Amino acid sequence: MSTITANPVYKLELTSSPHVHSRWSTKQAMWMVVLALLPALISSVIFFGFYQLLVVSVSVASAVVTESLIKYIRKREITITDGSGIITGMLLGLILPPNFNLFFTALGSIVAIGIGKEIFGGLGYNIFNPALVGRAFLQAAFPVQMTTWIKPNMAVDSVSTATPLSAFKFDSIFADISNMFIGNIGGSLGETSAISILIGGIFLIVIGVVNWRIPVSMFLGVIIFGGLFWLLNADQYPSPVFHMLAGGFLFGAFFMATDWVTSPLTAKGMWIFGFGISLVVVMIRLFGGLPEGVMYAILFMNAFVPLINRYTRPRIFGEAK
Amino acid sequence: MKNKVTIIKEYTKGIWQSNPVFKQILGMCPTLAVTVSAINGIAMALATTFVLVFSSFIISSVRKLIPTQVRIASYIVVIATFVTIVDLVMKAQFPELSKSLGPYIPLIVVNCIILGRQEAFSSKNTPLRSVVDALGMGSGFLIALFMLGSIRELLGSRTILGFQLLPDFYEPWLVMILPAGAFLTLGLMLAFFNNLSLHKKKSDNDKLIAKYLKTKTAADFVIEENK
Amino acid sequence: MKTVIHMLLTLTFIGIVSGGLLSQISEWAEPKIEEHRKAETARAIYLVQPEAKSYERITNVDFEVYKVFDEMKNSIGFALPYEGNGFQGKIRLMVGLNDELNKLKGLQILEQVETPGLGTKITEENFLKQFLNLSAQPMVNWVKAVPPEKQNEIQTITGATISSKAVVIILNDGIKKLRDAEKDGGVK
Repeated sequence: MSTITANPVYKLELTSSPHVHSRWSTKQAMWMVVLALLPALISSVIFFGFYQLLVVSVSVASAVVTESLIKYIRKREITITDGSGIITGMLLGLILPPNFNLFFTALGSIVAIGIGKEIFGGLGYNIFNPALVGRAFLQAAFPVQMTTWIKPNMAVDSVSTATPLSAFKFDSIFADISNMFIGNIGGSLGETSAISILIGGIFLIVIGVVNWRIPVSMFLGVIIFGGLFWLLNADQYPSPVFHMLAGGFLFGAFFMATDWVTSPLTAKGMWIFGFGISLVVVMIRLFGGLPEGVMYAILFMNAFVPLINRYTRPRIFGEAK
Repeated sequence: MKNKVTIIKEYTKGIWQSNPVFKQILGMCPTLAVTVSAINGIAMALATTFVLVFSSFIISSVRKLIPTQVRIASYIVVIATFVTIVDLVMKAQFPELSKSLGPYIPLIVVNCIILGRQEAFSSKNTPLRSVVDALGMGSGFLIALFMLGSIRELLGSRTILGFQLLPDFYEPWLVMILPAGAFLTLGLMLAFFNNLSLHKKKSDNDKLIAKYLKTKTAADFVIEENK
Repeated sequence: MKTVIHMLLTLTFIGIVSGGLLSQISEWAEPKIEEHRKAETARAIYLVQPEAKSYERITNVDFEVYKVFDEMKNSIGFALPYEGNGFQGKIRLMVGLNDELNKLKGLQILEQVETPGLGTKITEENFLKQFLNLSAQPMVNWVKAVPPEKQNEIQTITGATISSKAVVIILNDGIKKLRDAEKDGGVK
């Protein structure tokens, strides 16, 4: 999908057939994603206050600086304009809890770019979604700060609260669905407001930057797996709608799982990938020790992508089975 | 081959050239598991070195008496004996340390460094050389575990060997004292040391070429080209 | 045939030497190890029963429990080591109880493998001091994020709810077991 130009003068594509044609160049697509993330960013400012802009800015700035620095040390061309560092920074910023420490934000961003991406050789070679690697690091490093949520009240004062998922996990309380849809709940910056994620996500699908199969298969997966338990016992297990709106599911479905580099190439592969993520998410949420599992589910399925690609590779016409 | 390698070289090779952790990537289980603090790393490495030195000495002394078919079994019994000694002594004399190292002391039996050195070195060399080799490998292991333990302890709990080095406002990165931190730190350290030896190799090559070129005069090249 | 005998002889010889050596060392080490173990139990018992001066293991039940006495050799309660599942592995604790088994005298965590920095807070004074003179009537209970109101409640640790709950659950299990044993014919 993405092409790596060996020589900027000749624009020679050095990839073996079959070539998949995309309407967008990597660079254009990246900027479209940035555009699509704006509604989520705006909703985070509305619900949690202007400080959140600072968090996202620090995240983006450290991502870009880290990427440039590593490229410089490795004596490679500095590629800020491809937007990938900016996206990783934005994505990471938006999946952090509100009022997060700026130093930790920068650290997460450095880990995301350094260990999540550049160590594998840069854009196009990373196995795991860089932003999620950064968040996983922060989650393990600062578990208390990463699970301190504030009430969304336009940042008048910060009152700590529980996310719908932790309320369900630890106290068996189900949050109000309409509040979850608007985003008036505790949670990470860009993950709370379903409506603003949907605006950005559908925009990306319509213009063709993101393949619809991954989000759709994730929704179907959560309806099947989450619905199964819900039908078994509606008092104990939350409905599929709750699963879909809670935590980072929507954000993950549209912006994380669909990352070009770390998702499967074939249509069949994308279905497997999406269903796999949903299954792991439902399992972690219902039976795991942690309230939320979207991040780990996506990282887990990222590891299977090379395998999925291998087994869903289209056969050459006439090739023996 | 035996006489070409000096005794000093037998010792130093374990520290850098074939460091058990950074070069041979052996003994990963204790390396990753116990290095939550520098002191744990040191204790683990010393226990391993003790077992390594004594088993190497015994095995190289009786190497000609052990039939090849049962050599591995014999090595394991010898190693297990010394490991049990270490385990008992630690439990009796240093109960706190033994508690924090937990099951990893008995697990020294299956540490690849030890069996690896018996098979690769002690079974073919004199007791003196074997002991020196074992000490070298042990020192290499100690350095690696101490470095890993110090980094993890410093970032994960602000201290090294219990002395606080980072200020209170530094929030410890808990990930460093979790297993994930061990893998991350070891991975980055391996990358760093591989990079170092790559550079060294390159500069060695350059030196060799420069030396070769010095021995030749311009005339030699003309002749070579004409050939 | 000759090699077989050679092999057997070698292994037997190594085995005998190793066995002999180890039995010597073990003879020296075992009493010391046993001493450490006892000292540790004693330390924990005196921590959870601050007024205790001596203790005795109760033998007519199938689990480990100690009867604790004051200076006058009067029984002042029990010390009960008990274990159960925490967040990541086993938690082993020692709880001090009064004679009526309805009040806690103290609590110590003996072994745990909880998340460093989070779950490990269950071993810290701030959490453990809540159990001092806590009522266990009918059982110990927990509350989240607010200070406890009732006599038998403790507050869970923020960010370590599961570990805190696990401690209470293990505690209650142990108390229940001891109460059942008491009902069944008393503990001597």
